[in-house]
Amino acid sequence: MKHSEYINTLDVALLRSLLKPYPTLKKSCLLISAILVMGCADFVEVQPPKNTLVSETVFNDAATVESALANLYYDMREQGMVSGAFGLTTAMGIYSDELDYYGFSADYVQLFQHNVLPGNGAVLEWWRQAYHLIYGANDIIKGVDGTDGLTTVEKNSFKGQALFIRAYLHSLLVSVFGDVPYVETTDYLKTNTVVRTDVDEVNDLIIADLEAALVLLEGTAPVSDERIYPDQNVVKALLARMHLYIGYWEEAAAMATELIDDFPLESDLNQVFLKGSQETIWQLKADNESPKNTREAEQLIIQSVPGQTYALTNDLLNAFEADDLRRDQWVNGISDMDNTVTYYYAHKYKAGINENEALEYSILFRSAEQMLIRAEARIRLGDIVGAQSDLNAIRNRAGLANTMASTQNEILDAIINERRFELFTEQGHRWFDLKRLGKADEILGQFKPNWKATDVRLPIPESELDTNPNLLPQNPGY
Amino acid sequence: MKKSPIYSSRTKLFLFLYILLIPLLHQKLVAGVTFDPPQTTITGTVTDMDGLPLGGVNVVLESTNQGAISDMDGTYRIEAGPNGTLVFSIVGFKSLNVPIEGRNVIDVQLEEDVTQLGEVVLNAGYYTVSEKERTGNISTIKADIIEKQPVANPLAAMQGQLSGVNIAQTTGLPGGGFNIEVRGRNFINGATDPLFIVDGVPFGSQSLGASRVSGQIIGGSISPLNAINPNDIESIEVLKDADATAIYGSRGANGVVLITTKKGRAGKTRFDAHLSTTLGKVSRFLDLMDTEQYLEVRREGITNDGYGDLLEDPGFDFFWPDVKLWDNNRYTDWQKELIGGTSYRNNAQLSVSGGNDLTQFLISGSYQKETTVFPGDSNYQKANLRSNINHQSENARFKINLSIGYTNENNKMPTVDFTSKAYSLEPNAPRIYDDEGNINWENNTWDNPLASLEETYKSTSNTLISNALVSYEVTSNLEFRSNMGFTDYRLDSYRAMPSSARNPGLGVTPQNYSHLITNASQRVSWIVEPQLNWRKDWNGVALDLLVGTTFQEETMEQLVQRGLGFPNNGLLENLAAAENLQVFSDTDGKYKYNALFGRINVNLLNRYILNLTGRRDGSSRFGPGKQFGNFGAVGLAWIFSKERLFSEGSLLSFGKLRASYGSTGSDNIGDYRFLDTYQVSGNNYNGVTVLEPTGIYNPRFSWEENNKLEAALELGFFKDRLLVNTSWYRNRSSNQLVGIPLAATTGFAELTGNFDAVVENTGLEVDLRTVNIQSKGFNWSTTLNLTVPKSKLVAFDGLKNSTFANRYSIGQPLTIVKLYHALGVDPETGAYTFEDYNGDGDINRAEDRQWIEDLAPKFYGGFGNSLSLGNLTMDVLFQFKKQKAYNTLRFDATPGYKGNTPAELYNRWEEPGDVKPIQRASGGLAGGEDLGSLQEDSNASISDASFVRLRNISLTYKVPSMRPGLDMKVYLQGQNLWTLTNYEGPDPEQPSSTRLPPLRQITLGVQISF
Repeated sequence: MKHSEYINTLDVALLRSLLKPYPTLKKSCLLISAILVMGCADFVEVQPPKNTLVSETVFNDAATVESALANLYYDMREQGMVSGAFGLTTAMGIYSDELDYYGFSADYVQLFQHNVLPGNGAVLEWWRQAYHLIYGANDIIKGVDGTDGLTTVEKNSFKGQALFIRAYLHSLLVSVFGDVPYVETTDYLKTNTVVRTDVDEVNDLIIADLEAALVLLEGTAPVSDERIYPDQNVVKALLARMHLYIGYWEEAAAMATELIDDFPLESDLNQVFLKGSQETIWQLKADNESPKNTREAEQLIIQSVPGQTYALTNDLLNAFEADDLRRDQWVNGISDMDNTVTYYYAHKYKAGINENEALEYSILFRSAEQMLIRAEARIRLGDIVGAQSDLNAIRNRAGLANTMASTQNEILDAIINERRFELFTEQGHRWFDLKRLGKADEILGQFKPNWKATDVRLPIPESELDTNPNLLPQNPGY
Repeated sequence: MKKSPIYSSRTKLFLFLYILLIPLLHQKLVAGVTFDPPQTTITGTVTDMDGLPLGGVNVVLESTNQGAISDMDGTYRIEAGPNGTLVFSIVGFKSLNVPIEGRNVIDVQLEEDVTQLGEVVLNAGYYTVSEKERTGNISTIKADIIEKQPVANPLAAMQGQLSGVNIAQTTGLPGGGFNIEVRGRNFINGATDPLFIVDGVPFGSQSLGASRVSGQIIGGSISPLNAINPNDIESIEVLKDADATAIYGSRGANGVVLITTKKGRAGKTRFDAHLSTTLGKVSRFLDLMDTEQYLEVRREGITNDGYGDLLEDPGFDFFWPDVKLWDNNRYTDWQKELIGGTSYRNNAQLSVSGGNDLTQFLISGSYQKETTVFPGDSNYQKANLRSNINHQSENARFKINLSIGYTNENNKMPTVDFTSKAYSLEPNAPRIYDDEGNINWENNTWDNPLASLEETYKSTSNTLISNALVSYEVTSNLEFRSNMGFTDYRLDSYRAMPSSARNPGLGVTPQNYSHLITNASQRVSWIVEPQLNWRKDWNGVALDLLVGTTFQEETMEQLVQRGLGFPNNGLLENLAAAENLQVFSDTDGKYKYNALFGRINVNLLNRYILNLTGRRDGSSRFGPGKQFGNFGAVGLAWIFSKERLFSEGSLLSFGKLRASYGSTGSDNIGDYRFLDTYQVSGNNYNGVTVLEPTGIYNPRFSWEENNKLEAALELGFFKDRLLVNTSWYRNRSSNQLVGIPLAATTGFAELTGNFDAVVENTGLEVDLRTVNIQSKGFNWSTTLNLTVPKSKLVAFDGLKNSTFANRYSIGQPLTIVKLYHALGVDPETGAYTFEDYNGDGDINRAEDRQWIEDLAPKFYGGFGNSLSLGNLTMDVLFQFKKQKAYNTLRFDATPGYKGNTPAELYNRWEEPGDVKPIQRASGGLAGGEDLGSLQEDSNASISDASFVRLRNISLTYKVPSMRPGLDMKVYLQGQNLWTLTNYEGPDPEQPSSTRLPPLRQITLGVQISF
């Protein structure tokens, strides 16, 4: 140390004497030395750009968390399984017996013809999109926990919504793929090598998340009166559905009951799918620019023949009872120029691409489903009268007489059958019913020439098995 | 007691300065006082051996700072004593020392320097080095060659001229871009752009184009280098090896391109006017099917798909209008119609230069207008103003050079490149205009290609490049210098899409369809680089030290938005008239960069040279703790021809062995990539702006590294009339920044991180220059450059499980493609067949794409000859490349689809037993058997695309001088005139079915100087 100090003083003296005759040099040297000593670390640090926010900042402010949530609703509406151009409504419609496919997408032809390859792009997109949203939900769950910038009420509301979305997306994944990873963290080191979770466990985790959400959303004021955000009622609706799927009949009936009175059925079938429908529990608000209405209408309504992409199957059309008003009011037909051929399409949503006014939103939960959930749960529990009454509520609204079914089995079949006509072309209900009731083999086996028993599960996307071999083995049949 | 880091660095600093300054003191003490003898004025004329006056010759009184420069008529004037010696020097001539011996008039004749090396000085960026003594690999091209090429972009002028530099034009449209690779692709992540430095200022070469606006017309790539007028360039140097590039540290990995613009010369004011006109045409057309062939194949395809009966049903005519509704006898050569025109480029340039010994200036303005080969009145206009002022103080200690260049470009093009339509429109497609001259929609059965002329693409860019270089010679050994630069590049472009350009059958209106997409972008950067340079010559030992620092900041902004819902199409170009405004992206970026660099050059006996360079870099593109990196190189040269062994008269006139090794890096990976971020996506839900997660936090994010090794032998024979430079290099790039593929369960597709992958580029470069004949009336010289590159992926841990698994293979280059192996058409079924690599009976998986083809050139180069006979000069440059490329099967392998195809698809399988190269026709309808898409992705879609191209030919006639001082040259230049190739696609240089190939151009021009 002494040595260095010595050199230092010596040098300073030397330097001074050297620099005297060179005033310019002195200045420039000082400049250089100033630069050298200053250190450069500060210079090369930059603020994030204006269009980018660091996670930390996002969760310090309620407005930005709302924006992060808005991303989830926006994406559900536009992409992936929930809605959008490639949602379950059309894809599972052609995979089951609801829709015929006339389009040219190779991925969709595979679905329609039941020769889905593990590399199917549509299936991969569902998988990707679902987990991308689950990351978003998880980041919100983690982010609001670790911040001081939000009130408890805000935290509860945000976390409740995020938990619901996580549960909802997993419920769709498990229905389509069987065992899937239940992802609850954002740490990529973990999620990159995650293993698949058993279906039963996934269901338990979904219910656990929903129950947590139910508590968190207790008493939160609605963000909007348009029923376009998930609130406690929406959580209950999914809980009722999950309980029914798993076979917890009492819980399913109880949950549905909590909703049915608050969301009475619309008496007019033409009112059911309007944005102000009283039986809607949750809907995704349409884009305020284009299209102002639903993606469902955009896809399902046939504009011209030829030119159709999807049309209702004759099987479905012929199965309607003669006086069923739904066959009139929820189905429409269009013929080619010479009237040689007519195709029929779902006309639940009526506001097509040429409609400039916002009339309809994409409905994800409505009380007619809850009514049928309760009917099914009741009949399983042996409550014949209750089940009949729920079933008749749906039938009567459609202009049909009370059901003739009287035994437990008959009534169960009648309810399942009723679901087909009430819920057709809505988020793949028909497919999920066939699958959960073990009827896919029997019904689709006749209807689809390529049907194989292993088709009840879609393949885990091939590229995902490559990137994360922990997901192996592939679902049987692929 | 701990030393604080500041304390110790200060110690180092003082030690450093101490070493630096000691010699100054020494000199000051020994410098004696001399008495200058009385001065007289000496005048005279400098001429060449032919007696023609030589302007711009440096005349210096030996061992003083006094100097003058000869005027254009060769006269000079200098103050000197009677006993001194005058030194006359100018590039291209041998220097001459003439003792004054009391004379007042001294006329001299300078001898042209046969030895081509002469005193050629190369710009190495922070320093200059003579061609003879360089330790690194620097390729150069000077104004005399650049001027002879009728091109609008400096990169075009470099094509075929430089070894190790592979340049390909991406489109034949004016204002488009170029791909450039210096010694191959180093990084898996793609970016191959070298660092461009214009007069000392780094110039961002990345396009600011937005694909939503310009994607369909010039591929979204708008080369900012278009702003630099090739005629303004004095020289372009390409730094290639570690010795030359390490001083650029983290930005030098892909090489460095230095562009130096012209400066004024002392002498009487000189005017230089340049006028030229260029005609351009597409040089190659495809052989497509005619109407008869097309319809035959089309009908067959539809029938093969099982729709033969529907084809006869008029109710379905709508499905196949080309077959059923359109005139089956009509034929239009759409290539001729859409890309068969002639483009014109008119160029006018005027420059004024002059000055005295102390101050020189050059001001130059140019205007250029270029049209396209498309129909319509699309054109590209460029106006450019440049000035350069050079001044030095009386005692020549203080020097300042200021250069400012401003360019305005206006590019008005159709919104789509018509090329793909030209190749694919049905030969019997309806006429473009109806009898009234309106766009014909043929009862709404087709998309009229010329309707897009109603649409507009327009881009305006303004580029300012300014630079000041200030230096002060503190003593004769020490110089302080600072380089300060500022660049401002603005791009405003829009794409207007009126409803009138769409088929009326679609029912679109200005309200529901017409839209305008705009892109307003700007990149501004400044740089300050103070430096100290100390030089000292002892007897036989020369030491040259340089130390400097860089501060640089670059900001980028881009706003891309769309206006929708216009009251009428007339208001379409006014964004304010839109009912809805949608912002696609509003981005900004900031890049800060700071560095310390230095160089130590030791030259022993002009024979042994050691060059050490180094740089410590800091960049804002990396996370905390990873921001700084060190780079450095060592270069050695031994000029063995100076050893006694080689006497004066020996055959070998010059011989040098040199080698270098060092490291550089690349931070060419975009800003802010290490942060976990949310971004505004431009969408909303219920009016709430959407914030989308876009990145996972990743602090493990650092430089890419690139180690370069080079060995070279430079030989000169017959007094340097034959020069051969041979270099071998090996570049190894590691710590590659690649998107590591993530499982979707992470929420993201990939994460960018440093991956343990090594890419190796090796190669051999040969540069040959000969002066074949040099006589009074006739000169002939030849240049040849040849590059034999080789590349391979040496290591890539976890390649198998990465997204690159299907793209790369260990031991293979990065430029490979993996394909199906085509086995021809099955004579029984008429379907394409392929090798089933994984034996699963299906051809659909990545595992079946195991056939490897490399699309990088095997070798490439240029062969040039320059001949001059009297006043006539001819330059011819051939460019050659041995390579493979996608052929036309890549974009169509099935006959029978709607849309025309190359005629080779006509030779198809028709019935069992046929042995044909093309499968049976298919209309592409559901249910039809069609493996064309696999064929497109097979080795059948690759063919040899080697070529020899007459890249440039230039004939210049120097009109005999009518009066002294007036020079006039007339020239005829051709670009891309002739190509020898077996390739059958559009252009072997740029094999694409959607972009206009490079044009064949002929230029006639005149240059007048007085």
